[in-house]
Amino acid sequence: MGSLDFARGREVGRSLGRLEAAAKVDGTVEYIHNLRLPGMLHGRIHRSSIPHGRIVRIDTSAALAVAGVHAVVTADDVARLVPDPYYGPAFHDQPILATGKVRHVGEPVAVVLADNPHAAEEAADLVAVEYEPLEAVFDEVAAAAPDAPVLHDELRPAGMFTDLKHLAGRRDTNVALDARLRSGDVEQAFAEAEHVFEHTFRTGKVMHAAFEPMVTVAEPHAAGGLTIHTASQSPSFVRSEISRLLGWPENRVRVRTAFLGGGFGAKLYIKLEAMAAVCALLARRPVRIALSMDEQFYTITKHGATVRIKTGVARDGRMTARQVETFWNGGAYADIGPRVTQKSGFSAAGPYDIEHVALDNYAVYTNEPPAGALRGFGISQLVWAYERQADVIARTLGIDPLEFRRRNALRNGRPHATGTVVVGMEVDAVLDRLAEAMAWDKPFDRGTGTIRRGRGIGIGVKACVSPTTSTAAVHIYGDGSCAVHCSTVDMGQGSDTTMAQIAAEVLGIPTTDVRVVHPDTDVTPYDMATLGSRSTFHMGNAVRRAAEDARAQIERMAPGATSFRDAMLARFAMQAGTVVGFGSYAPSYQKPDPETGLSANITPFWMLGGAGAEVEVDTETGRITVTKLVNVADVGRAINPASVERQLTGAAIMQLGFTLFEEMVFSDGQVLNASLADYKIPGFLDVPRELTGTFVEAPHPEGPFGAKGVGETGIFSPSPAIANALYDATGVMLYDMPLTPERVLRAIREAGGRPLEQA
Amino acid sequence: MKAFELVEPATIDDAIALLDAGDPGVRAVAGGSALVPMMKARLFQPTRLVSLRRIGGALRGIHAGDGGLRIGALATLTELEHSTRVRDAAPVMSRALRTLSNVRIRNVATLGGHLAHGDPHMDLPPILLTLGARVRVAGRGGERWIDINDLFLGYYQTAVAAGELITEVHVSAQPHDARTWYEKFTALSADDWPTVGAAVWYRTAGDRIGEARVAVSAATERPVRIAAAEQILTGAAPSAETFGAAADAAAAAVDPLADIRGSAAYKREMVRVHVRRALEKAR
Ligand SMILES: Cc1cc2nc3c(=O)[nH]c(=O)nc-3n(C[C@H](O)[C@H](O)[C@H](O)COP(=O)(O)OP(=O)(O)OC[C@H]3O[C@@H](n4cnc5c(N)ncnc54)[C@H](O)[C@@H]3O)c2cc1C
Repeated sequence: MGSLDFARGREVGRSLGRLEAAAKVDGTVEYIHNLRLPGMLHGRIHRSSIPHGRIVRIDTSAALAVAGVHAVVTADDVARLVPDPYYGPAFHDQPILATGKVRHVGEPVAVVLADNPHAAEEAADLVAVEYEPLEAVFDEVAAAAPDAPVLHDELRPAGMFTDLKHLAGRRDTNVALDARLRSGDVEQAFAEAEHVFEHTFRTGKVMHAAFEPMVTVAEPHAAGGLTIHTASQSPSFVRSEISRLLGWPENRVRVRTAFLGGGFGAKLYIKLEAMAAVCALLARRPVRIALSMDEQFYTITKHGATVRIKTGVARDGRMTARQVETFWNGGAYADIGPRVTQKSGFSAAGPYDIEHVALDNYAVYTNEPPAGALRGFGISQLVWAYERQADVIARTLGIDPLEFRRRNALRNGRPHATGTVVVGMEVDAVLDRLAEAMAWDKPFDRGTGTIRRGRGIGIGVKACVSPTTSTAAVHIYGDGSCAVHCSTVDMGQGSDTTMAQIAAEVLGIPTTDVRVVHPDTDVTPYDMATLGSRSTFHMGNAVRRAAEDARAQIERMAPGATSFRDAMLARFAMQAGTVVGFGSYAPSYQKPDPETGLSANITPFWMLGGAGAEVEVDTETGRITVTKLVNVADVGRAINPASVERQLTGAAIMQLGFTLFEEMVFSDGQVLNASLADYKIPGFLDVPRELTGTFVEAPHPEGPFGAKGVGETGIFSPSPAIANALYDATGVMLYDMPLTPERVLRAIREAGGRPLEQA
Repeated sequence: MKAFELVEPATIDDAIALLDAGDPGVRAVAGGSALVPMMKARLFQPTRLVSLRRIGGALRGIHAGDGGLRIGALATLTELEHSTRVRDAAPVMSRALRTLSNVRIRNVATLGGHLAHGDPHMDLPPILLTLGARVRVAGRGGERWIDINDLFLGYYQTAVAAGELITEVHVSAQPHDARTWYEKFTALSADDWPTVGAAVWYRTAGDRIGEARVAVSAATERPVRIAAAEQILTGAAPSAETFGAAADAAAAAVDPLADIRGSAAYKREMVRVHVRRALEKAR
């Protein structure tokens, strides 16, 4: 390798601090939220007050009369610029502003543009909209029924996902997608099974509650282009979708991001970008639209789901058949819901070796706010069902829950329900680590009096979304310093540091010497999006390849140079010039058969997460205190172990909130608790006394230095682990999340024959 | 938010002069932790806010004397939380303050604002109802004292009239044998507003309870004393049976409002459990 062969292997695998840590603490870090441009107008959205109805008339006169108001934009104005104003990653179903009708409470109907945010806010209240109400439907099962009121006249799949094409033109249905998987013969297997278990589980809608609400600033260029500064997880997608809407080539749209104050899936695809772009082009001035925390409850949520699960078990405790029917409450617009439905849906058999599997998934439109991606992409709703049921089966059969999982584990070399042979998934190692962390074989204090103690575990699996592409460039500048250009968005997960570590490892330099350039579609190359725990694997591979390319170029052009600085001088005859290494990564993939859902290559890697919980249940109030929570992940290899652990403990706290008390409460499509005063997220006093994030390593053959993704893994299993611990403590079975004190107390009292009166 | 006038008078008299009883858009603001969220939610649109923050003197400080605690209306909840005078005179308050909202709110929220707001979900009102307290109020017509039992009139309604200011809160001196406790029950996150707050106070004479006070908040439309529970306790032995009976009486007496934190039946049950627990834990 010549004399450029600096010390290697020093950067990957180290718990380095975040590159931006100091700037985050002293407040100098860049957020789009803080961006102000000269001449900028402030947009404020007037939202629908009803869940479903035709727009009869919009009166903007009172709003326009407010001092400082520049314009009030409605669908008619949008149409002048964008004749077909419907967007979406899966379906072109969501209008930039409500067009003809509204489909959920909170849907944007008009945008007021004003000199200052206060005038905009005041005027937005004064927009008067007359509606002709239509019958609405909120429940996902009811909405899928043939006689339900229909939200969209016709399904309009976006071109991006070819497997949705067959849905084009379908009419009179709220089922946006039905995805199925058939492997073996479940009916026969149920008939032969020793035991058959059948349950229905539900999860409500919850919200991401990122610290920085959504914000976009659109800036028109005199020469006829547009820069969109946006807190987005998917700048590349924003560029192509805005270009498509405007009928412009992509090179006229520039999309840039900064650090995000959290994303968790909320800031994907198009959120405010299309609206801000159209407003800016109409006004010919920069326009900033920034949501309040409260408005986000009407913008994007996690899917509520109804999961019907039926499992056949043989005498020896081995599961032989599983049938799962899942209805996903997608809200009024599909967003990425059909992907959640399909990509998560096929994993509903869990990390288990089950011969006969039949899965049906329905993405259903309802008159609630749209549901999309939220950390885990539908997996936690399914794990909630299959891991709750696993404990019922184990308990009924008198098998230890850990042993039951071991007996049924899906191991490397065996086919998953999709037919893909499993590689690089360490079920046994995860279960062993979980057993160890939970001291599972040790006696356990069961509590006294009104405090009952219990413990539980759960394990869940996700297949990383496929196929997707990442590309990256590594620049070596004239002085030998280095920058990574990639469109991965650092939203707090630490991707800048991870990418810098990977580049530094290849280049043989310290991580702190690597600069990571933030996504800017004029500068950084394409990336599918920062989602689904895909960045470390996909972008990590692209960055690794780009760094290898840069290094190889340097070695070729200046053999014998002992540093990049010397190499540049040697090659360019002065301390100048640029060397650009390029890397891209797109894993191989085989599309599932549309009839059977089978594929020989469904995913580049499997993510496996186990959780264990110890709880104390107050049997007089129903309040659950989680005293210990353990998350174990199978990560291939940890690029930055401390970062991995924080992803796991952070996810544990997030999912703890979803499990115990977070839920959007609806009445006629209105969110009754659309503010953080009433929609409570966990605080520090809710964090379990013992909270552990730990991982097992077994380098993945295709991962960069063996790494797999981990951003979502810690979300999968805490909910069933906690509910199983409740079950262990009290014998009480709950089927619906969250496990609020009232639900728990009612179940305890019911079981004790002293039911609490209704209402 | 519409433009409004913000004034920061330096004296109580100036503040009172700037308050205008006739205009509902004119209000005092202390910590702003209750008022500003209402403004953001557009439940309140001020024309003028009279900020009390520049006023010193009588509105500040925590003083202990024979007559009890004298607390300036602008004392922050953090000051109360860390005050050794409060801890010595009324440890039940110090304990409650630790889980009252969060440190950021406690740093700005004032006792005057806490009481004047009339929100039934506050933690200190039921405690003060059991400890005994009175509130000094100043207005254009001069000063008056309001007994804490007469302060809370209804949902977000107090006896402090428009144009009046709370200047001071006087917490009664506690007999050395008074036993007190406050149970805060949150249904959602640990730092949530209480779903039920139950405060108790009692003294024993020999092997009997001499005098007892029980107050419940959050589940009810205003913080209330529960006479039926107090009657059961008075003259009875401080036993599990007595406490259970008093708790049953409290549960029967309240008329809980259902909301996202629980149904009426659940809240009634939580009143029972927490009144009983407060009595059992009182010390
Ligand atoms: C997120 C959050 C969580 C909370 N959780 C809890 C909780 O768990 N438990 C709890 O008890 N409380 C809780 N609170 C409420 C908090 O205790 C109150 O907001 C606070 O006590 C109000 O005090 P302030 O000084 O900020 O009042 P301000 O907001 O300034 O004023 C409130 C009202 O009182 C009036 N006012 C203020 N000072 C005076 C005065 N001296 N004389 C007359 N009128 C006056 C104002 O005009 C206004 O109408 C929470 C608040 C928030 C925002």
